[in-house]
Amino acid sequence: MDFYLNLINTIGIHTMLGLSAYLLLQTGQLSLAQAGFFAVGSYTAAILTVIFQWNIIPSVLAAMLVSGFLAFLVGFPALRVKGLMLVVATIAFSEFVRMFFYNLKWRVTRNGEEIGPDGTMGFAEIRYFSDNGWSNLEVTFFLWAFVILIMGFIWWSDQSRTGAVLRAVGEDELAASSVGINLTVVKVSAMTAGGFIAGLSGGLYAHQVTSLDHHSFTVLLGTFAIAYPILGGLSNVFGTLVAVIFIQGLLVEGLRFIGDWRMILFGILIVLAMNFKPLGLFDKQTMDIIKKAVRV
Amino acid sequence: MEDFLYEAVEIIQTIWDGILFGSTYALIGIGFTLIFGAMGKLNMAYAAAAIAGAYVGLAVSMFFDAPIIMVFAVSATFSTFMGYLVYQSCFRFIPTNNHLAALMASVGGLFLIDEIIVHTTLGSPMNFPALFEDAYFEIGPFGIRGDLLFVFFIGIVSTVLLLYVLYKTRLGMATRAVAQQDVAAQLCGINIHRTNSITFSIAGFLGGIAGAMTAAAVGILSPVMTVPLTIKGLIVTVIGGLGSIPGAIIAGLFVGAFENFFLYIRGIDERDMYVVGLLFIFLIFRPNGIFSKTINRD
Repeated sequence: MDFYLNLINTIGIHTMLGLSAYLLLQTGQLSLAQAGFFAVGSYTAAILTVIFQWNIIPSVLAAMLVSGFLAFLVGFPALRVKGLMLVVATIAFSEFVRMFFYNLKWRVTRNGEEIGPDGTMGFAEIRYFSDNGWSNLEVTFFLWAFVILIMGFIWWSDQSRTGAVLRAVGEDELAASSVGINLTVVKVSAMTAGGFIAGLSGGLYAHQVTSLDHHSFTVLLGTFAIAYPILGGLSNVFGTLVAVIFIQGLLVEGLRFIGDWRMILFGILIVLAMNFKPLGLFDKQTMDIIKKAVRV
Repeated sequence: MEDFLYEAVEIIQTIWDGILFGSTYALIGIGFTLIFGAMGKLNMAYAAAAIAGAYVGLAVSMFFDAPIIMVFAVSATFSTFMGYLVYQSCFRFIPTNNHLAALMASVGGLFLIDEIIVHTTLGSPMNFPALFEDAYFEIGPFGIRGDLLFVFFIGIVSTVLLLYVLYKTRLGMATRAVAQQDVAAQLCGINIHRTNSITFSIAGFLGGIAGAMTAAAVGILSPVMTVPLTIKGLIVTVIGGLGSIPGAIIAGLFVGAFENFFLYIRGIDERDMYVVGLLFIFLIFRPNGIFSKTINRD
């Protein structure tokens, strides 16, 4: 039972991570920094609950704010210029964050025990849930409440004017700017919103796995973050959820018996999917088929 | 006074070594720039293909006891082939106006190549044959490592060769035509896909040499080198100005010197953080790179 709860938690966290890249992808920009924001969020929330003994909800919200602000700082210089600059700036930023936590040492002594992030050794004393007697099921519900909240928020933005503006920028920047949309404002807002969501998911992740390590936040994680929405398609949030369930549930957990070769499959899957479905699984063609099937 | 002089000599020595090593970054940067110039797209799998080429070169030297020049030749040849393969699998069949999909596919290619290397070598770093171990020139208080000098020399030769091909041959003219205006080039009877695959192959050739050069200068070859080399190459491309070959060369040498300087004063753990800082300084104050003429934001 615990195995399945853990898998459901992982799926929830990765869905949030994927959705953090979703809004920016709608504007046609690609950010590989989601792993960096996720790392900042997880370390911030964990430091707040472990060293400063905050409650989980304010610490997760604080993590969200810090990551969002950082996303604004990174996105602003990179998004003013050509879109491809963002790829370079974000991949470099994400490695920078990883190096930062690789070097971060902040040990304090509490009740005769040394706690806190310990450089290369990682940060292993995040026991908020077990200290406060949360059961695994409660953790899952807590986590999925946030997932559903974010999915609802993005679903709403898709239906509203916000989504239309984001998509207009993604379709054709020149046309969008000629109808009076400020491209930089739209892109930087999308980036900041992505930073908020990634920070939130990072904060939850830290408490779910109970120990952090800079190895978990490589460019590979950033690739996963953008791979989910791109593979699932940008027409609605469920594409991302389906892609996460497929990759985390089937590829990573389901194929555990073939060992490390799974990561090769991940690479092949992305290359093939982009050749055959460049707009993702749930593109217009698939949606038309689904709509027809539902009507009949 | 004595201490100060000693320190100054050390720092100049460090920067000089860095400039020599920077020629590998310059080559990787030129590769990114060529592909960006031709298609307006980033090929994220590029540095991974370069390292893959160096691995094949290493395998040849291990099994056949080949001389070092053969290692470079085999690396370059295999990497040329990899460049062609990456074009066919990640760019050829994806709609030209869909930048996201092509970028994503090449990121997939990066991890695919990376994982194949990890699996065939069991993930452990391997020793790369050293170049002229005993060659060491002394000029006054300074020394020049023979291997770095050789690496620098190969870098210059490849750059001159590339510039010759680009500006003096029909092939280079076709490549530049496609880069400037692909529709017009097609109307003149240039086969775009053929020209693009040749551009990718040329970039791959340079990448293979750069991969072997990096491995020779560092002394080991390891799959963990791919992502840092990709990042350094991209940083060089941005600092040099997207699409500018002279910019990529200067930026490559500059980044090499800059990182070696911070390696000397701050240590290996923090070195890369300063290089990223340099990138952000350029993004804020000079977003179009060293050789930008006009500010064109789009």
